[in-house]
Amino acid sequence: MVSKKLQQLKDKFGSAIQQADVVNDMRLLVYIDPASVKPICQYIFRDMDARYVISIGSDDRPYSGKFLVFHQFAFDKEKILFSIICQLPGENPRIDSISGIIPAANWAERELKDLLGIEPVGHPYPKRLVLPDAWPDGHHPLRKDFAWNKIPEGYDEEREFDFDETPPGCTAVPFGPFHPTLDEPEHFRLYVDGEFVRGCEYRGFMVHRGIEKLSESVLGYNDVPMMAERICGICGCVHSLAFCQAVENGAGVIVPPRAEFIRTIMLEIERLHSHPMWVGLACHLVGFDTLFMQAWRIREPIMWLAEKITGNRKTYGLGIIGGVRWDFTPELIAETRAVLDKLESEWRQVVAAVSKDKNIMARTSGVGMADKALCKEMGLVGPVARGGGVDIDARRDHPYAAYDRVDFKVITHNTADVWGRVVVRMLEVFESINIIRQCFDKMPQGPLVADITTELPAGRVGYTSIEAPRGESHHFAITGDDNRPRRWRARAPTYQNLQGIPAMIKDQRIADMQISLGGIDPCMSCTDRMETIDIRTGARKSWTKAELLSLSRSRKG
Amino acid sequence: MSILSKLKETAICLNAGRVTMPYPFESKPVPERFRGRPIWDHVKCIGCAGCANNCPSREILINDICQEIRILHYLGRRCTYCGRCADVCPEDAITMSHEFENGTNKITDLQQRLELFMSTCQRCGRCFKGQSPLEALKMKGYRADDLANDRWVFKSTAYLPGQPILEDLTIELEG
Ligand code: SF4
Ligand code: SF4
Repeated sequence: MVSKKLQQLKDKFGSAIQQADVVNDMRLLVYIDPASVKPICQYIFRDMDARYVISIGSDDRPYSGKFLVFHQFAFDKEKILFSIICQLPGENPRIDSISGIIPAANWAERELKDLLGIEPVGHPYPKRLVLPDAWPDGHHPLRKDFAWNKIPEGYDEEREFDFDETPPGCTAVPFGPFHPTLDEPEHFRLYVDGEFVRGCEYRGFMVHRGIEKLSESVLGYNDVPMMAERICGICGCVHSLAFCQAVENGAGVIVPPRAEFIRTIMLEIERLHSHPMWVGLACHLVGFDTLFMQAWRIREPIMWLAEKITGNRKTYGLGIIGGVRWDFTPELIAETRAVLDKLESEWRQVVAAVSKDKNIMARTSGVGMADKALCKEMGLVGPVARGGGVDIDARRDHPYAAYDRVDFKVITHNTADVWGRVVVRMLEVFESINIIRQCFDKMPQGPLVADITTELPAGRVGYTSIEAPRGESHHFAITGDDNRPRRWRARAPTYQNLQGIPAMIKDQRIADMQISLGGIDPCMSCTDRMETIDIRTGARKSWTKAELLSLSRSRKG
Repeated sequence: MSILSKLKETAICLNAGRVTMPYPFESKPVPERFRGRPIWDHVKCIGCAGCANNCPSREILINDICQEIRILHYLGRRCTYCGRCADVCPEDAITMSHEFENGTNKITDLQQRLELFMSTCQRCGRCFKGQSPLEALKMKGYRADDLANDRWVFKSTAYLPGQPILEDLTIELEG
């Protein structure tokens, strides 16, 4: 299959295809002449009907003197992940923009410009995306000669972000950061005409933490999974395992089968807590708090279970390169089965009630539309795509861990609105339960971690897709020296799905904005500290840790 | 029928009853594998710095006062309780405790400081038990950098015994 695709490209573009690396029958790397990047990508995306995944830049100057750009595509039916590689000169790197023909590449190309200084020539909307407004021009933090802890001179806090002109007849309504119904740091500037949203401008990346830079400069292979886990409070395990998989894929590390099964189980446990949580949140966003509470109540035993297995409710700390850290004892397996049985019966009741609930249906039907065409153009993934009838699921299409050894259905729905996503996510819970049960039946004995006796080879390209509860996460790594990756790129599902939001909310009522956006689960961490002030005397008292504890235990305080 | 759904939803709530736990008035024991604050055992630690080199949050400082005294300082500020330090410790000197109620405005409540007396050797100036545990860690794929040039090592000797390495941080709350 892979060689057929390669042959097709060669027949069409001849010498523009410079070199190819057929890794196996699921991975293909093709080096092309950067001058032909536009027609080649157009051919792959339109004629060969590939799905666009992400574009990645890398500063390879210390090794080859060049910049690299990878355009990642996927052939889901044929189970192929596929990479187009362009080598650009080390001085003044420029590449033809593909956003005109593949709208989904819009952000990724703007990111190339911000972080690496690779100019996407002919980009339809070449605005700054990632770097903060105050950041001076001409400093590109992902270049190798930019130190990880450097703050460039000329950081201009006064610099204002220039928003686009508000279209005539519209009023600009700011939505976020920290909007009451979506407590996440991101800003939508909605252009509203009466009740209806006619367009919007997105301003995000306010919590950009520079983790990719840290991974290639400060941390090591086995530190990164712990950090990757903190990319997201909900799909943490997904990101940490995806990083491991990308490195393993590049360096050729074989994970022992028992570890693969444990990874599968924990990924499904993560989905089991995420789906009820999101269904609850969706109910909350349309003002239906009763079901929100019940969904979260039903989810809680899953969190306790995760804590029993891994030592933490959410950050499992599961993955390291070559395996996993926690094992399942027979008692844990028995307990997990019992929790799953209970979850299944309770969730069945919720599904029976919600799926006929006319009020929820009325609030979510026809809202946040993402049909098949939009999914293709913007590269939408996960329940958003499946709710629109697009049959993709990285677990089946690009198997990893032990997913090739279990049977499950990919749930789709054809309404293409938020209701479709609610249905998909509700029903996927049963599939996850089913997968975990199969894993317990089939799990072999054996070691948890591969025996790595030599340093991992440098300069290898590894990439992997992994189905997070919200959709496909795509991780890409180039292995490096010093036991750390040379480049790592994590593309979370929201990165693509958020780009679809302007189209999803266009010509919809402003009141539906939050449920259209509702697929993005808010998560916040905060540490409360306490000081008391006696109102009468004005005396202040700071509390010690021990005092705080005893105070919190007594009902009098 | 919507009314039927509403009845079903009511039934779910009624069956569940009250589920909220009275925490913090009553606390519940945590599961055995729970990962709380890491605690160092002064006696077991050999000062190999494996934990410092592998902490993803860079929470552990190694400070060489002189050739014989090495100070290990756990900062307790942004520790994520991942337990990597405990994993890599060749001497099992670190326990992931069951302590999680760490709300305090005195950071020293959480910190730990170990003053380690290191043996010296005429060749390398330092001795580890048997073959270097760092070598073993490296063979397992963990990073073990050259300590002398490492980012953790502050070469200053301007401390007197008993003086903290870092000034304590009391968090000022706005009135
Ligand atoms: S638990 Fe993790 S973050 Fe905390 S000190 Fe140990 S290695 Fe560092
Ligand atoms: S890894 Fe263990 S022995 Fe080495 S310095 Fe840390 S606590 Fe001490």
